[in-house]
Amino acid sequence: MEAFAPGIYPRSEELVQETRDLDRGRTTQEAVDAQVDRDLQLLVAAQQEAGLDLLSDGMLRWQDLFRPFVEAAEGLERGALTRFLDTNTFYRAPHGDGTAPRLAEPLADEYIAPLPTERLVTLPSPFALSLGTGIDPRTIAEGVLRPQIDALGAELVVLSEPFLARAEDADVEGLALALEVLHGGPPLALWITFSDAGGLLARGLAELPVDAIGVDFYSTSIDALPERFGKYLLAGVLDARNSLVEDPPEIASFAAQLEQRVERVALVPNGDLQYVSEPIAREKLARLGQAKTARAGQGVAA
Amino acid sequence: MNDAHTFLTHEIGSLAKPPWLVKTSAGRPLEDSDIDHARSWGAKLGVGGHEELVELLEQGAEDRVQDVANWSSRYTLRLQEKAGLDWIWDGEQQRTEMYAWAIAHANGFEPRGTVRSFDNKYYSKSAVTGPISLAAPYHNDEFEFLKSAAKAKLKVPVTGAYTLAIWSYDEFYGASQGRLGRGESRAATIEARREFALDLARNLIRPNLQALIDLGSEWIQIDEPGASTESDELELFAESFNVSVEGLDCRFSTHLCFSNYDLFFPAIEAMTGCRQYCVGFANYDSRELGATAADRPGYEVISKFRDLPYEPALGLGVLDIHTDFIESPELVRDRILYAVDVFGDPARINVCPDCGLRTRSWDVAYEKLVRMVEGTRLAEEAVSRSLAEAG
Repeated sequence: MEAFAPGIYPRSEELVQETRDLDRGRTTQEAVDAQVDRDLQLLVAAQQEAGLDLLSDGMLRWQDLFRPFVEAAEGLERGALTRFLDTNTFYRAPHGDGTAPRLAEPLADEYIAPLPTERLVTLPSPFALSLGTGIDPRTIAEGVLRPQIDALGAELVVLSEPFLARAEDADVEGLALALEVLHGGPPLALWITFSDAGGLLARGLAELPVDAIGVDFYSTSIDALPERFGKYLLAGVLDARNSLVEDPPEIASFAAQLEQRVERVALVPNGDLQYVSEPIAREKLARLGQAKTARAGQGVAA
Repeated sequence: MNDAHTFLTHEIGSLAKPPWLVKTSAGRPLEDSDIDHARSWGAKLGVGGHEELVELLEQGAEDRVQDVANWSSRYTLRLQEKAGLDWIWDGEQQRTEMYAWAIAHANGFEPRGTVRSFDNKYYSKSAVTGPISLAAPYHNDEFEFLKSAAKAKLKVPVTGAYTLAIWSYDEFYGASQGRLGRGESRAATIEARREFALDLARNLIRPNLQALIDLGSEWIQIDEPGASTESDELELFAESFNVSVEGLDCRFSTHLCFSNYDLFFPAIEAMTGCRQYCVGFANYDSRELGATAADRPGYEVISKFRDLPYEPALGLGVLDIHTDFIESPELVRDRILYAVDVFGDPARINVCPDCGLRTRSWDVAYEKLVRMVEGTRLAEEAVSRSLAEAG
């Protein structure tokens, strides 16, 4: 049993203030950079104290899941501010300019920070990044995501996918073609966030050409999981849209149920932790680690 | 002349706070440019006694923040009056923010920190943790002051129950345990939110509205920017509005913005107590002139508001609040004339910006409002001419 936390992590109150001040011309980019470094150090420490197996950089500079690629890739443009699912957080929906997108340069360290030990890197899934652009996911994968993955060193690349399970008639086959393009580098996970993956599981989600599948178990029933699930499962057991902190023994018991169906399980949030404030997210990380420890103490599931 | 028609004009809610209020509130020192701002805008708007404010700022107003806020309210009232609006508010100069201000005056909530709205913009989010009640009416002081200071009529913006519910964490109404691995039950989620929103409507919003009515408020605008967050909860939004206002003696309207407005139909057919919807359309519209459907793509949905059985007025958003582009009077005119053509009844059309102008400078906001009123006068001339010719 492993545990880690992909996705965008919330900014500390100090970083919130620094970035607000930057917008108002009251501070410098250097001061913001210094606070980002402090936030990153605290996040790394929090993950290490929690005993998480792969470190995440928390994507502290990402304004949303798509923005760095929209700004770095030719052929993509910033669209209208759009509500992210049922939250009060908004993102700039990517738009296409009619040409095949191409990542001019892989994202620099400011967006994918070096970490002291084994790490995971979160990127948008090709379906999510292509939504609304008029570009098919495979073309996005070839022109934007593949060059980025080729430039990465990571133990796991998590492709964050908030929209696929909610899309009517989602083209799972089209996504499979896109994922094939990304195959061959670091292990890949497709992380279905904040949504019921039951329909996708019934349509062969587990057959997609990735090494791991992430499932939100606050939206998805465990009964939707096949009796024998052949993939590495990232089990979304922290509710990242809820301020209540989880009960580690409850998570450990649930993990034991999962292990009866799945050979390899990692405990993760059900989406980006940025939808709660940083102190709450930090407490959730601690409890994720406690749940992993509690599960280890239970021994082999009955 | 019997055929003359006039359109009612109004604002929506917020305006930017001036630098001298922002800095005084934050305990930061003023610069000469801040005092020049107070001096020049005071003269430009004809704010009576504004030299007193300038003197106060020059002396240091750290311990007189409320006085400075009152001056800011006087300036914003004058700004809108000078632009020619019929119904105004003070741009919410006295409030912190539309969510936090209401929650700060409610029992049953606890703060849960800061969450991103977008980019480097954030908001403070709270959780409902117990039974909800009104700690103290939270617009009374501001309304009484503005009543004493305004020359035009006052429309009070109040954040609605559904938006307060959907913008809060729920630690009280929904299940706190046993959710893992069960799968989402939308029915249970909606029922928990229903209980939450209706408690807010009954125990927070309604007594606050009653207090405003007791003080003489004639028009209250219920702001619901979160109304369309969940497409399967629109009936709940309508129900929470009705519970908030039912039986109260006042003109109630609702402000909706930056949504797929089609989602609101047919749910808002039930909101029979809503006498006006003020809605942002200019954000989606072309900047070219013309009063046909093809010229006005941003206004395609307005026929649905026309067809509501209780025939509310439509507060027609004609100013895009997201840009510094100044709409010409002719563009405003054409947007109004298109709406009149669709509605077939000019009396049901009011004219307003898409939303509060908080993100624009006073220079831009003032210029936009002046052009809006000029465009309204042009539309009145055209409509009056048509009425005279027809009859």
